Amino acid sequence: MTRHRVCGVSEVASNAMKPFAMGRGTVLLTRLPSGEIKAVGSRCPHQGANLEHGCVTGHAYSDQPNVLLMDRPGQILRCPWHGFEFDLSSGESVADHGKLRLRRFNVEIEGDDVFIVM
Amino acid sequence: MLLIDADVHESFAGIRDLVPYLKEPYREWIERGAWRGFSQPFAYTSPGAGNRADVRNADGSASVSDYGVMRRQLLDTYNQTYAVLTGYFYPTMLKLQYGLSSALAAAYNDYVAEHWLAKDKRFIGSIQINARDPEAAAREIDRMAAHPQIKQVMLPVVDDIAYGHPMYRPIFEAAERHKLVIALHHTILAEGPFGMGLHYIERHTLLPTSMMAEVISLILNGVFDGYPSLRFIILEGGFSWLPHLMWRMDREYRQGRVEVPWVKKLPSQHMRERLRFSTQPAEDLTGDQWLKLIDLMGSDEFLVFSTDYPHFDFDDPRVSIPRSLPDDLQEKIFWKNGAALYGLEAPVQ
Repeated sequence: MTRHRVCGVSEVASNAMKPFAMGRGTVLLTRLPSGEIKAVGSRCPHQGANLEHGCVTGHAYSDQPNVLLMDRPGQILRCPWHGFEFDLSSGESVADHGKLRLRRFNVEIEGDDVFIVM
Repeated sequence: MLLIDADVHESFAGIRDLVPYLKEPYREWIERGAWRGFSQPFAYTSPGAGNRADVRNADGSASVSDYGVMRRQLLDTYNQTYAVLTGYFYPTMLKLQYGLSSALAAAYNDYVAEHWLAKDKRFIGSIQINARDPEAAAREIDRMAAHPQIKQVMLPVVDDIAYGHPMYRPIFEAAERHKLVIALHHTILAEGPFGMGLHYIERHTLLPTSMMAEVISLILNGVFDGYPSLRFIILEGGFSWLPHLMWRMDREYRQGRVEVPWVKKLPSQHMRERLRFSTQPAEDLTGDQWLKLIDLMGSDEFLVFSTDYPHFDFDDPRVSIPRSLPDDLQEKIFWKNGAALYGLEAPVQ
Protein backbone atom coordinates (compact mmCIF):
# COMPACT_ATOMS: atom_id res chain seq x y z
CA MET A 1 0.00 0.00 0.00
CA THR A 2 1.39 3.40 -0.95
CA ARG A 3 0.38 6.92 -0.01
CA HIS A 4 0.65 9.90 -2.33
CA ARG A 5 0.30 13.46 -1.10
CA VAL A 6 -1.71 15.19 -3.77
CA CYS A 7 -2.61 18.62 -2.31
CA GLY A 8 -3.43 20.68 0.73
CA VAL A 9 -6.88 20.42 2.29
CA SER A 10 -7.69 24.04 1.48
CA GLU A 11 -7.05 23.44 -2.23
CA VAL A 12 -10.05 21.10 -2.58
CA ALA A 13 -13.21 22.90 -3.69
CA SER A 14 -16.90 22.15 -3.38
CA ASN A 15 -19.04 21.91 -6.53
CA ALA A 16 -15.99 21.39 -8.75
CA MET A 17 -13.71 18.57 -9.82
CA LYS A 18 -10.17 19.82 -9.29
CA PRO A 19 -7.28 17.94 -10.94
CA PHE A 20 -4.10 17.05 -9.11
CA ALA A 21 -1.12 15.15 -10.37
CA MET A 22 -0.56 11.74 -8.89
CA GLY A 23 2.50 10.02 -10.25
CA ARG A 24 2.15 10.14 -14.01
CA GLY A 25 -1.62 10.36 -13.80
CA THR A 26 -4.29 12.74 -12.62
CA VAL A 27 -6.82 12.40 -9.88
CA LEU A 28 -9.88 14.62 -9.37
CA LEU A 29 -10.79 15.84 -5.93
CA THR A 30 -13.98 17.43 -4.70
CA ARG A 31 -15.49 18.29 -1.36
CA LEU A 32 -18.98 17.03 -0.60
CA PRO A 33 -21.40 19.28 1.32
CA SER A 34 -20.63 17.18 4.40
CA GLY A 35 -17.03 18.31 4.16
CA GLU A 36 -15.80 14.88 3.15
CA ILE A 37 -13.20 14.88 0.38
CA LYS A 38 -13.69 12.44 -2.48
CA ALA A 39 -11.13 11.40 -5.07
CA VAL A 40 -12.02 9.84 -8.42
CA GLY A 41 -10.33 9.01 -11.69
CA SER A 42 -10.26 11.77 -14.26
CA ARG A 43 -11.80 9.77 -17.11
CA CYS A 44 -15.46 8.93 -17.54
CA PRO A 45 -15.96 5.13 -17.58
CA HIS A 46 -18.28 5.55 -20.58
CA GLN A 47 -16.11 7.05 -23.32
CA GLY A 48 -13.21 8.57 -21.44
CA ALA A 49 -14.20 12.25 -21.29
CA ASN A 50 -12.14 14.38 -18.93
CA LEU A 51 -14.33 14.69 -15.86
CA GLU A 52 -12.50 17.81 -14.74
CA HIS A 53 -14.92 19.62 -17.01
CA GLY A 54 -17.95 17.83 -15.59
CA CYS A 55 -20.76 19.42 -13.69
CA VAL A 56 -21.16 18.84 -9.95
CA THR A 57 -24.84 19.07 -9.25
CA GLY A 58 -27.70 17.58 -7.26
CA HIS A 59 -29.85 14.51 -7.70
CA ALA A 60 -32.98 14.96 -9.81
CA TYR A 61 -35.92 12.96 -8.50
CA SER A 62 -39.67 12.80 -8.78
CA ASP A 63 -42.59 10.45 -8.37
CA GLN A 64 -44.88 12.59 -10.48
CA PRO A 65 -44.48 13.28 -14.20
CA ASN A 66 -43.68 16.88 -15.05
CA VAL A 67 -42.65 17.72 -11.47
CA LEU A 68 -38.87 18.00 -11.12
CA LEU A 69 -37.25 18.00 -7.69
CA MET A 70 -33.62 18.09 -6.58
CA ASP A 71 -31.93 16.79 -3.47
CA ARG A 72 -28.39 15.88 -2.47
CA PRO A 73 -26.80 19.09 -3.86
CA GLY A 74 -23.14 18.82 -4.74
CA GLN A 75 -23.15 15.01 -4.68
CA ILE A 76 -23.71 14.10 -8.33
CA LEU A 77 -21.11 14.46 -11.07
CA ARG A 78 -22.30 14.75 -14.69
CA CYS A 79 -19.90 13.90 -17.49
CA PRO A 80 -19.02 16.91 -19.67
CA TRP A 81 -19.75 14.99 -22.87
CA HIS A 82 -22.92 12.93 -22.52
CA GLY A 83 -24.19 14.03 -19.15
CA PHE A 84 -24.07 10.59 -17.57
CA GLU A 85 -24.65 10.99 -13.83
CA PHE A 86 -22.39 9.51 -11.17
CA ASP A 87 -22.92 9.46 -7.43
CA LEU A 88 -19.75 10.94 -5.94
CA SER A 89 -20.23 8.94 -2.73
CA SER A 90 -20.56 5.50 -4.30
CA GLY A 91 -19.11 6.15 -7.73
CA GLU A 92 -22.12 4.39 -9.27
CA SER A 93 -24.05 5.51 -12.32
CA VAL A 94 -27.36 7.00 -11.16
CA ALA A 95 -29.33 5.75 -14.16
CA ASP A 96 -27.79 2.34 -14.36
CA HIS A 97 -26.74 1.22 -10.89
CA GLY A 98 -23.57 -0.76 -10.93
CA LYS A 99 -23.01 -1.08 -14.66
CA LEU A 100 -20.79 1.98 -14.94
CA ARG A 101 -18.73 3.19 -12.02
CA LEU A 102 -16.21 5.96 -11.43
CA ARG A 103 -12.72 4.87 -10.46
CA ARG A 104 -12.50 5.79 -6.78
CA PHE A 105 -9.50 6.33 -4.51
CA ASN A 106 -9.23 6.16 -0.76
CA VAL A 107 -8.51 9.54 0.79
CA GLU A 108 -6.70 10.19 4.06
CA ILE A 109 -6.30 13.58 5.69
CA GLU A 110 -3.29 14.21 7.84
CA GLY A 111 -3.00 17.72 9.20
CA ASP A 112 -3.40 20.03 6.21
CA ASP A 113 -2.41 17.38 3.67
CA VAL A 114 -4.58 15.19 1.44
CA PHE A 115 -3.22 11.72 0.67
CA ILE A 116 -4.42 9.13 -1.83
CA VAL A 117 -3.94 5.59 -0.57
CA MET A 118 -3.43 2.89 -3.17
CA MET B 1 -49.73 -27.60 -29.08
CA LEU B 2 -51.74 -25.00 -27.18
CA LEU B 3 -52.11 -21.80 -29.17
CA ILE B 4 -53.17 -18.22 -28.40
CA ASP B 5 -53.80 -15.95 -31.36
CA ALA B 6 -53.32 -12.43 -30.01
CA ASP B 7 -54.79 -10.45 -32.90
CA VAL B 8 -58.04 -11.53 -34.51
CA HIS B 9 -60.29 -8.95 -36.12
CA GLU B 10 -63.98 -9.55 -35.68
CA SER B 11 -66.31 -7.13 -37.40
CA PHE B 12 -69.88 -6.14 -38.02
CA ALA B 13 -71.39 -6.24 -41.50
CA GLY B 14 -72.20 -2.54 -41.40
CA ILE B 15 -72.57 0.37 -39.02
CA ARG B 16 -76.32 -0.21 -38.81
CA ASP B 17 -75.61 -3.44 -36.90
CA LEU B 18 -74.88 -1.16 -33.94
CA VAL B 19 -78.30 0.55 -33.98
CA PRO B 20 -79.95 -1.82 -31.46
CA TYR B 21 -77.12 -1.18 -29.02
CA LEU B 22 -76.88 2.60 -29.36
CA LYS B 23 -78.40 5.05 -26.92
CA GLU B 24 -80.36 8.03 -28.12
CA PRO B 25 -79.89 10.42 -29.78
CA TYR B 26 -77.14 8.49 -31.55
CA ARG B 27 -79.37 5.53 -32.39
CA GLU B 28 -81.56 7.85 -34.41
CA TRP B 29 -78.54 9.53 -36.02
CA ILE B 30 -77.16 6.24 -37.30
CA GLU B 31 -80.59 4.91 -38.26
CA ARG B 32 -81.21 7.83 -40.59
CA GLY B 33 -77.73 7.57 -42.12
CA ALA B 34 -76.24 10.67 -40.49
CA TRP B 35 -72.89 8.88 -40.40
CA ARG B 36 -71.90 5.84 -42.45
CA GLY B 37 -68.83 4.74 -40.57
CA PHE B 38 -65.13 5.13 -41.14
CA SER B 39 -63.59 4.89 -44.57
CA GLN B 40 -59.87 4.50 -45.06
CA PRO B 41 -58.08 7.43 -46.74
CA PHE B 42 -56.38 5.11 -49.24
CA ALA B 43 -57.12 2.15 -51.49
CA TYR B 44 -56.11 -1.37 -50.49
CA THR B 45 -54.00 -3.10 -53.12
CA SER B 46 -54.34 -6.70 -51.96
CA PRO B 47 -56.62 -9.10 -53.91
CA GLY B 48 -59.11 -9.20 -51.04
CA ALA B 49 -59.16 -5.41 -50.59
CA GLY B 50 -57.52 -5.46 -47.19
CA ASN B 51 -58.73 -8.93 -46.21
CA ARG B 52 -57.74 -12.42 -47.28
CA ALA B 53 -59.53 -12.94 -50.56
CA ASP B 54 -60.69 -16.39 -49.44
CA VAL B 55 -62.67 -15.09 -46.46
CA ARG B 56 -66.02 -15.62 -48.10
CA ASN B 57 -69.45 -16.99 -47.38
CA ALA B 58 -70.72 -20.09 -49.15
CA ASP B 59 -72.32 -17.89 -51.81
CA GLY B 60 -68.97 -16.27 -52.56
CA SER B 61 -69.73 -12.94 -50.95
CA ALA B 62 -66.98 -11.36 -48.87
CA SER B 63 -67.47 -11.91 -45.16
CA VAL B 64 -65.45 -10.68 -42.24
CA SER B 65 -68.44 -10.53 -39.91
CA ASP B 66 -69.45 -14.19 -39.90
CA TYR B 67 -68.56 -16.25 -36.86
CA GLY B 68 -69.06 -19.50 -38.76
CA VAL B 69 -66.52 -18.53 -41.40
CA MET B 70 -64.01 -17.52 -38.76
CA ARG B 71 -64.56 -20.68 -36.78
CA ARG B 72 -63.97 -22.83 -39.83
CA GLN B 73 -61.06 -20.90 -41.35
CA LEU B 74 -59.25 -19.97 -38.17
CA LEU B 75 -60.30 -21.47 -34.84
CA ASP B 76 -60.84 -25.02 -36.05
CA THR B 77 -58.32 -25.13 -38.89
CA TYR B 78 -55.49 -24.20 -36.54
CA ASN B 79 -57.00 -25.75 -33.43
CA GLN B 80 -56.69 -22.46 -31.60
CA THR B 81 -56.97 -22.58 -27.84
CA TYR B 82 -57.83 -18.90 -27.53
CA ALA B 83 -58.29 -16.09 -30.03
CA VAL B 84 -58.08 -12.51 -28.79
CA LEU B 85 -60.65 -10.34 -30.56
CA THR B 86 -59.26 -6.90 -31.25
CA GLY B 87 -61.79 -5.33 -33.65
CA TYR B 88 -60.99 -2.84 -36.33
CA PHE B 89 -63.73 -0.37 -35.47
CA TYR B 90 -62.01 2.19 -33.29
CA PRO B 91 -64.26 5.12 -32.31
CA THR B 92 -61.22 7.15 -31.20
CA MET B 93 -60.70 7.84 -34.90
CA LEU B 94 -63.70 10.19 -34.74
CA LYS B 95 -62.05 13.51 -33.97
CA LEU B 96 -65.11 15.39 -32.85
CA GLN B 97 -68.53 14.59 -31.38
CA TYR B 98 -67.09 12.76 -28.39
CA GLY B 99 -70.55 11.76 -27.15
CA LEU B 100 -71.22 9.90 -30.39
CA SER B 101 -67.78 8.30 -30.28
CA SER B 102 -68.20 7.07 -26.71
CA ALA B 103 -71.70 5.77 -27.52
CA LEU B 104 -70.34 3.92 -30.55
CA ALA B 105 -67.66 2.30 -28.41
CA ALA B 106 -70.25 1.12 -25.88
CA ALA B 107 -72.57 -0.14 -28.63
CA TYR B 108 -69.75 -2.00 -30.33
CA ASN B 109 -68.73 -3.63 -27.06
CA ASP B 110 -72.29 -4.83 -26.50
CA TYR B 111 -72.52 -6.02 -30.11
CA VAL B 112 -69.30 -8.02 -29.77
CA ALA B 113 -70.38 -9.51 -26.46
CA GLU B 114 -73.60 -10.82 -28.01
CA HIS B 115 -72.51 -11.72 -31.53
CA TRP B 116 -68.96 -12.95 -30.91
CA LEU B 117 -67.94 -13.59 -27.31
CA ALA B 118 -71.15 -15.43 -26.48
CA LYS B 119 -70.69 -17.80 -29.40
CA ASP B 120 -67.34 -19.31 -28.51
CA LYS B 121 -65.51 -19.66 -25.21
CA ARG B 122 -62.24 -19.59 -27.12
CA PHE B 123 -62.72 -15.87 -27.73
CA ILE B 124 -60.97 -13.39 -25.45
CA GLY B 125 -62.49 -9.93 -25.62
CA SER B 126 -61.12 -6.38 -25.77
CA ILE B 127 -62.88 -3.23 -24.64
CA GLN B 128 -63.18 -0.55 -27.29
CA ILE B 129 -63.12 3.01 -25.99
CA ASN B 130 -63.20 6.60 -27.12
CA ALA B 131 -59.76 7.59 -25.86
CA ARG B 132 -60.37 11.26 -26.64
CA ASP B 133 -62.69 11.40 -23.62
CA PRO B 134 -60.59 9.52 -21.04
CA GLU B 135 -63.15 9.83 -18.23
CA ALA B 136 -65.86 8.34 -20.45
CA ALA B 137 -63.39 5.70 -21.58
CA ALA B 138 -62.72 4.78 -17.95
CA ARG B 139 -66.44 4.44 -17.31
CA GLU B 140 -66.75 2.14 -20.32
CA ILE B 141 -63.86 0.04 -19.03
CA ASP B 142 -65.58 -0.16 -15.63
CA ARG B 143 -68.83 -1.20 -17.34
CA MET B 144 -67.35 -3.95 -19.48
CA ALA B 145 -64.59 -5.30 -17.24
CA ALA B 146 -66.84 -7.74 -15.39
CA HIS B 147 -67.40 -9.79 -18.55
CA PRO B 148 -65.54 -13.05 -17.92
CA GLN B 149 -63.99 -13.17 -21.40
CA ILE B 150 -62.76 -9.56 -21.37
CA LYS B 151 -59.01 -9.34 -20.77
CA GLN B 152 -57.80 -6.11 -22.35
CA VAL B 153 -58.42 -2.53 -23.43
CA MET B 154 -57.67 -1.45 -26.99
CA LEU B 155 -55.73 1.78 -27.44
CA PRO B 156 -55.99 2.70 -31.10
CA VAL B 157 -52.96 4.37 -32.62
CA VAL B 158 -54.15 7.37 -34.62
CA ASP B 159 -52.32 10.37 -36.00
CA ASP B 160 -52.63 12.83 -33.14
CA ILE B 161 -52.43 10.95 -29.83
CA ALA B 162 -49.34 9.85 -27.94
CA TYR B 163 -50.75 8.05 -24.94
CA GLY B 164 -48.08 9.19 -22.50
CA HIS B 165 -49.82 12.56 -22.19
CA PRO B 166 -51.21 12.99 -18.66
CA MET B 167 -54.75 13.49 -19.93
CA TYR B 168 -55.04 9.76 -20.72
CA ARG B 169 -54.30 8.61 -17.16
CA PRO B 170 -57.94 7.71 -16.33
CA ILE B 171 -57.75 4.99 -18.99
CA PHE B 172 -54.68 3.43 -17.39
CA GLU B 173 -56.13 3.77 -13.90
CA ALA B 174 -59.25 1.90 -15.00
CA ALA B 175 -57.30 -0.80 -16.81
CA GLU B 176 -55.05 -1.35 -13.82
CA ARG B 177 -58.05 -1.37 -11.48
CA HIS B 178 -59.53 -4.27 -13.44
CA LYS B 179 -56.23 -6.05 -14.18
CA LEU B 180 -56.67 -5.60 -17.92
CA VAL B 181 -53.91 -5.61 -20.53
CA ILE B 182 -53.40 -2.46 -22.63
CA ALA B 183 -53.17 -3.33 -26.35
CA LEU B 184 -51.99 -0.86 -28.96
CA HIS B 185 -53.06 -1.41 -32.54
CA HIS B 186 -52.75 0.83 -35.57
CA THR B 187 -55.79 2.30 -37.30
CA ILE B 188 -56.41 3.57 -40.80
CA LEU B 189 -55.23 6.96 -39.52
CA ALA B 190 -51.83 5.82 -38.20
CA GLU B 191 -48.88 7.54 -39.83
CA GLY B 192 -45.12 7.69 -39.92
CA PRO B 193 -43.18 10.81 -39.00
CA PHE B 194 -43.90 12.45 -42.36
CA GLY B 195 -47.39 11.20 -42.87
CA MET B 196 -48.47 8.13 -44.79
CA GLY B 197 -46.24 8.66 -47.81
CA LEU B 198 -47.64 8.58 -51.32
CA HIS B 199 -48.47 4.88 -51.60
CA TYR B 200 -50.22 2.28 -49.48
CA ILE B 201 -46.99 0.27 -49.32
CA GLU B 202 -45.29 3.29 -47.75
CA ARG B 203 -48.03 3.70 -45.18
CA HIS B 204 -47.98 0.01 -44.30
CA THR B 205 -44.18 -0.05 -43.97
CA LEU B 206 -44.28 3.00 -41.70
CA LEU B 207 -46.69 1.52 -39.15
CA PRO B 208 -43.97 0.28 -36.75
CA THR B 209 -42.68 3.83 -36.38
CA SER B 210 -46.00 4.88 -34.89
CA MET B 211 -45.68 2.07 -32.36
CA MET B 212 -42.15 3.13 -31.48
CA ALA B 213 -43.48 6.63 -30.82
CA GLU B 214 -46.15 5.24 -28.51
CA VAL B 215 -43.68 3.14 -26.52
CA ILE B 216 -41.36 6.14 -26.15
CA SER B 217 -44.26 8.31 -25.02
CA LEU B 218 -45.66 5.78 -22.53
CA ILE B 219 -42.36 5.04 -20.82
CA LEU B 220 -40.83 8.51 -20.71
CA ASN B 221 -44.03 10.15 -19.51
CA GLY B 222 -44.23 7.80 -16.57
CA VAL B 223 -47.09 5.47 -17.48
CA PHE B 224 -45.01 2.34 -16.81
CA ASP B 225 -43.84 3.72 -13.47
CA GLY B 226 -47.20 5.17 -12.50
CA TYR B 227 -49.14 1.94 -13.08
CA PRO B 228 -46.72 -0.76 -11.98
CA SER B 229 -49.02 -3.73 -12.48
CA LEU B 230 -50.22 -2.69 -15.93
CA ARG B 231 -48.98 -4.74 -18.87
CA PHE B 232 -48.88 -3.76 -22.52
CA ILE B 233 -48.88 -5.48 -25.89
CA ILE B 234 -48.04 -3.99 -29.27
CA LEU B 235 -50.23 -5.60 -31.91
CA GLU B 236 -49.26 -5.80 -35.56
CA GLY B 237 -46.54 -3.23 -35.09
CA GLY B 238 -43.51 -5.42 -35.74
CA PHE B 239 -40.93 -6.42 -33.16
CA SER B 240 -37.59 -6.61 -34.95
CA TRP B 241 -37.07 -2.93 -34.11
CA LEU B 242 -37.15 -3.64 -30.40
CA PRO B 243 -33.38 -4.11 -29.83
CA HIS B 244 -32.74 -0.74 -31.43
CA LEU B 245 -35.34 0.99 -29.27
CA MET B 246 -34.03 -0.62 -26.09
CA TRP B 247 -30.47 0.42 -26.84
CA ARG B 248 -31.45 3.89 -27.94
CA MET B 249 -33.75 4.57 -25.01
CA ASP B 250 -31.27 3.23 -22.48
CA ARG B 251 -28.56 5.45 -23.88
CA GLU B 252 -30.91 8.45 -23.88
CA TYR B 253 -31.93 7.64 -20.32
CA ARG B 254 -28.35 7.43 -19.07
CA GLN B 255 -27.60 10.87 -20.48
CA GLY B 256 -30.98 12.53 -19.98
CA ARG B 257 -32.54 10.97 -16.88
CA VAL B 258 -32.42 14.35 -15.13
CA GLU B 259 -35.35 15.52 -17.26
CA VAL B 260 -37.58 12.52 -16.49
CA PRO B 261 -36.59 11.27 -13.02
CA TRP B 262 -40.08 9.82 -12.53
CA VAL B 263 -38.80 7.02 -14.78
CA LYS B 264 -37.13 4.77 -12.23
CA LYS B 265 -35.74 2.00 -14.40
CA LEU B 266 -33.83 1.66 -17.60
CA PRO B 267 -36.42 1.70 -20.40
CA SER B 268 -35.22 -1.72 -21.56
CA GLN B 269 -35.97 -3.10 -18.11
CA HIS B 270 -39.50 -1.70 -18.23
CA MET B 271 -39.92 -3.29 -21.65
CA ARG B 272 -38.66 -6.71 -20.61
CA GLU B 273 -40.90 -6.77 -17.57
CA ARG B 274 -44.11 -5.28 -18.96
CA LEU B 275 -44.21 -5.00 -22.75
CA ARG B 276 -45.12 -7.75 -25.20
CA PHE B 277 -45.42 -7.92 -28.98
CA SER B 278 -47.63 -9.90 -31.30
CA THR B 279 -45.66 -11.67 -33.99
CA GLN B 280 -47.61 -10.87 -37.15
CA PRO B 281 -46.38 -9.68 -39.61
CA ALA B 282 -43.41 -11.92 -38.86
CA GLU B 283 -41.27 -10.49 -41.69
CA ASP B 284 -40.35 -13.94 -43.03
CA LEU B 285 -37.30 -14.29 -40.83
CA THR B 286 -35.24 -17.47 -40.97
CA GLY B 287 -34.86 -19.62 -37.87
CA ASP B 288 -31.34 -18.28 -37.33
CA GLN B 289 -32.59 -14.73 -37.62
CA TRP B 290 -35.29 -15.40 -35.03
CA LEU B 291 -32.74 -16.74 -32.59
CA LYS B 292 -30.34 -13.85 -33.15
CA LEU B 293 -33.16 -11.36 -32.68
CA ILE B 294 -34.40 -12.95 -29.47
CA ASP B 295 -30.84 -12.99 -28.18
CA LEU B 296 -30.57 -9.26 -28.91
CA MET B 297 -33.89 -8.64 -27.16
CA GLY B 298 -32.47 -10.28 -24.06
CA SER B 299 -35.65 -12.24 -23.36
CA ASP B 300 -37.69 -14.99 -24.96
CA GLU B 301 -40.84 -13.73 -23.24
CA PHE B 302 -41.57 -10.76 -25.50
CA LEU B 303 -43.37 -12.48 -28.35
CA VAL B 304 -46.97 -13.69 -28.54
CA PHE B 305 -48.17 -15.39 -31.69
CA SER B 306 -50.85 -13.72 -33.82
CA THR B 307 -52.44 -14.27 -37.22
CA ASP B 308 -54.20 -10.94 -37.89
CA TYR B 309 -57.08 -12.93 -39.41
CA PRO B 310 -58.92 -12.03 -41.63
CA HIS B 311 -56.57 -9.34 -42.94
CA PHE B 312 -54.54 -9.86 -46.08
CA ASP B 313 -51.19 -10.01 -44.33
CA PHE B 314 -52.32 -13.00 -42.24
CA ASP B 315 -49.62 -15.23 -40.72
CA ASP B 316 -50.19 -18.98 -40.83
CA PRO B 317 -49.04 -20.48 -37.52
CA ARG B 318 -47.74 -23.56 -39.32
CA VAL B 319 -45.38 -21.57 -41.50
CA SER B 320 -44.70 -18.10 -40.15
CA ILE B 321 -42.86 -19.30 -37.03
CA PRO B 322 -39.98 -21.54 -38.22
CA ARG B 323 -40.29 -25.13 -37.10
CA SER B 324 -36.52 -25.13 -36.62
CA LEU B 325 -36.91 -23.04 -33.45
CA PRO B 326 -36.39 -25.01 -30.22
CA ASP B 327 -39.58 -26.60 -28.91
CA ASP B 328 -39.54 -24.65 -25.66
CA LEU B 329 -39.24 -21.37 -27.57
CA GLN B 330 -42.13 -22.30 -29.85
CA GLU B 331 -44.18 -23.16 -26.80
CA LYS B 332 -43.46 -19.74 -25.34
CA ILE B 333 -44.42 -17.91 -28.54
CA PHE B 334 -47.55 -19.94 -29.23
CA TRP B 335 -48.77 -20.35 -25.68
CA LYS B 336 -46.83 -19.50 -22.55
CA ASN B 337 -46.10 -15.84 -23.20
CA GLY B 338 -49.70 -15.07 -24.12
CA ALA B 339 -51.10 -17.19 -21.31
CA ALA B 340 -48.95 -15.30 -18.80
CA LEU B 341 -49.97 -11.95 -20.25
CA TYR B 342 -53.70 -12.62 -20.19
CA GLY B 343 -53.79 -14.92 -17.17
CA LEU B 344 -55.10 -17.85 -19.19
CA GLU B 345 -54.92 -21.52 -18.41
CA ALA B 346 -55.31 -24.47 -20.69
CA PRO B 347 -58.99 -25.40 -20.90
CA VAL B 348 -60.09 -28.53 -19.09
CA GLN B 349 -60.84 -31.15 -21.73
